[in-house]
Amino acid sequence: MEGTLDSPARTSGGGDIYLPRPATLLSVSAMTASDAFFELALDGPEDLGHLPGQFVEVSVPGMGEAPISVCSSPTRKGSFQMLVRRIGSVTQALHRKSPGDKVGIRGPFGTSFPMEGELKGKNLLFVAGGIGLAPLRSAIQYALDRRGDFGRIAILAGTRSAAERLFTGELLEWKRRNDLTLLETVDQPSPGWAGQVGLITGLFGMLRLEPGPWAALVCGPPVMYRFVLRELRRLQVPSREVHVSLERRMKCGVGKCGHCQINGLYVCQQGPVFRAGDLFDLKEAL
Amino acid sequence: MTVKQMDPASLNGWVDGLLLNRTVIGPVQKGDKFVFESLSRASDLRLDYDTTLLPPKKFLLPSREILLTFRGDSHYASQAPPDPFVLLGVHPYDVAAIRQMDRVFSEKQVDTHYMARRGACTLVALDAQAVSPNNFAGCMGTATVREGWDLLFSRVGGAYLAEAATEKGESLLRSAGLLADAAPGQLEERDRLWESNRQAMRRHVLHCSPQDLPGLLSRNYDHPLWQERAERCFSCGACNVVCPTCYCFDVQDEVDWSLECGSRCRAWDGCLLRDFASVAGGHNFRRHSAERYRHRYYRKAKYLPEMTGEIACVGCGRCVDACVARTANPVEVYNTLLGD
Amino acid sequence: MPRPRVAIFDFAGCEGCQLQIVNLEEALLDLLRVVDVVEWREAMSEQSDVFDIAVVEGAITRLEDEERLKRIRQKAPVLVALGSCASSGGLNKLKNRMAMSEARRLVYGRDGGVSRLDTAPVKAVSEVVKVDYLVRGCPIDRREFSYVVRCLALGREPFIPGYPVCVECRIRENACRWQEGEICLGPLTRAGCGAACPAQGAACLGCRGTCDDANLEGMASVLAQYGKSREELESRLAVFLDPDGKGVSHA
Repeated sequence: MEGTLDSPARTSGGGDIYLPRPATLLSVSAMTASDAFFELALDGPEDLGHLPGQFVEVSVPGMGEAPISVCSSPTRKGSFQMLVRRIGSVTQALHRKSPGDKVGIRGPFGTSFPMEGELKGKNLLFVAGGIGLAPLRSAIQYALDRRGDFGRIAILAGTRSAAERLFTGELLEWKRRNDLTLLETVDQPSPGWAGQVGLITGLFGMLRLEPGPWAALVCGPPVMYRFVLRELRRLQVPSREVHVSLERRMKCGVGKCGHCQINGLYVCQQGPVFRAGDLFDLKEAL
Repeated sequence: MTVKQMDPASLNGWVDGLLLNRTVIGPVQKGDKFVFESLSRASDLRLDYDTTLLPPKKFLLPSREILLTFRGDSHYASQAPPDPFVLLGVHPYDVAAIRQMDRVFSEKQVDTHYMARRGACTLVALDAQAVSPNNFAGCMGTATVREGWDLLFSRVGGAYLAEAATEKGESLLRSAGLLADAAPGQLEERDRLWESNRQAMRRHVLHCSPQDLPGLLSRNYDHPLWQERAERCFSCGACNVVCPTCYCFDVQDEVDWSLECGSRCRAWDGCLLRDFASVAGGHNFRRHSAERYRHRYYRKAKYLPEMTGEIACVGCGRCVDACVARTANPVEVYNTLLGD
Repeated sequence: MPRPRVAIFDFAGCEGCQLQIVNLEEALLDLLRVVDVVEWREAMSEQSDVFDIAVVEGAITRLEDEERLKRIRQKAPVLVALGSCASSGGLNKLKNRMAMSEARRLVYGRDGGVSRLDTAPVKAVSEVVKVDYLVRGCPIDRREFSYVVRCLALGREPFIPGYPVCVECRIRENACRWQEGEICLGPLTRAGCGAACPAQGAACLGCRGTCDDANLEGMASVLAQYGKSREELESRLAVFLDPDGKGVSHA
């Protein structure tokens, strides 16, 4: 059956789960030497309909698909945003795109941070390592847009160098707010950076958590989790209140291809957002 | 529907008749082994085969399959569904494996590509007439199957008994013309064939019930066996390729010379292959071959069973046949873990 | 997008890989619509100093060749090594098992001493300059070459298998050469050829080089199980995987 992106129907019994929906890039801007920031909208009237923490499969014909987390909050309608690190063929091709260009989108896929569920009313501690800030930003924006629904908000963010800091404009904005605490660090000292230097775990010592029900939302490189979880235990945040977002090779996004499996779990189905307490028995997870 | 009987010559005549207007796939000889292949004539059929090099999954989930074609940046089209075909002579353990794949591709998000092929397929099972050297289907409860097929043939004495289980199977059998009912003695003989296959398909004997395997694996994640056996493993994925329950795939885009048009294909992948769990940027979540070797057994006998209630191994023994290093025998692995 | 300009250069080898390009036939015309071939001694008389992609066939066997290759690299934004000789040194590296004077005497007899016949230990292209892409094989696989060209024209990384030939061999339902009593290097060799040799009933000789993380140590137990000797294996490895006898390289 011949069709364009906007007529995805195939055989009887439902649509083709591998067929992307068309989307148009509204803006493209470089953020660091290897990261670019995209705003896009699905063609047609629908919103993406994602939840904070979910990801999409972004399609560039001829290059393939890449799983990318949505970094904007669903509270902001009409478009959605992604931060893309140039790392493979698909992401390189995305970096060459301009506003008005088309990409394909499948999803959103996976689990989300339960912003409207159990996180409501809690104090939120965000821990972001490197590009892990992207999926967390979706939840941070959500919490700020519904500020009254949440208690205190603290954000710990670390990158390897000052040049790799992401969303610097927003970081500045957050820093100025008096209803949240933002602590930042960079791994290596760099010219022009007057802030904290050292690993993200070093920020925990500077943190004063007021008593109350805290939940943590964590995303970063694979090596980060064990050390951050240790700090969270010291702060006595219960492991059921720790929500981690994990990266694996989510190739199909629909629980078929097998690539994103962590022991018995599919990251694209039971993740990418997991409760840390559910992962302790999974030796491949953290 | 009552069980019918057919002599071998009429069976061949019936298949030749089917071949006039549709594709029929069946077991044929290749060298001193057997393969499933699209038939050109019934006399090529080797219904006495013991097992095939690849399972019939290659016709339901092809080793390389176009999912969609594209033109430019925004025109995609799904691949057209396949024409109907008959898959003839499938042994019970392979029928059991197809049932497992049916579940994977039909549950939650339906995979229309697999399901279209599955829907186009009339599955004609055949009770085995010979047992391959490494078959242990008798230990896995898949030496015989009572469901999953449209039509089942069983060789009993000089005749074939034919039992239809679905409308598809009945209609296929009707095209054979008027057939005599099976005699009560023949049905008893078929029962004896089933019992005999259950006993014979135990070329390796598992020292526990398949239901005990998830628990067994739960206790042995750090067993030295994984490292020891992986030292001989070439990570060549032969065990994945020949496995009737392995369905993992990779997806790749290719363009034609216009550089504008092309296709998105899925191709078989295997969890034993080094880069199976690598992500963009290079981090490999199962870097060591022992981790991949262990993952395969956990997936077959713990992870998938915990999701579906069924062990994802049907005992066909093809992995044992295909492993150059002779390190892929599941029964040896499980029995070693059992301490036997 | 302008067509990338391609220059094809040859060093020591049989030129069979270039012949494979010529043998693309109709596809060669398609290829020429995608890339602009500005220099190719085998097929045309024009030469050019300006190109986007250098395709280098053959091994490096003389010191002056090293200099020529370095000059090519300086001009080439992208460099592709074509075939086994360029990728690994190939069969040419058998020469490295002997003294250069002996090699000269073997090939040229009494004239071996003439200075213009100077020769040096064989190197792969990557032992002299940085290589961006390898199209392996003896000879190259025409489909793979076409695919790599399209990928480069499109600006993407080609997907070249890192896994062993066995994957493709099993998919083709070939008889396993080990089970036929032969020593087959398929388990150690990078796939991508479609298991062309086993499909014709011949054991894999390893012309595409080793796969990622090739388990050479694992061969010991396999030899024992199939009643083969270490010497038999080594004589096979000597063709492509270990021609200079310095051990299997993981290139």
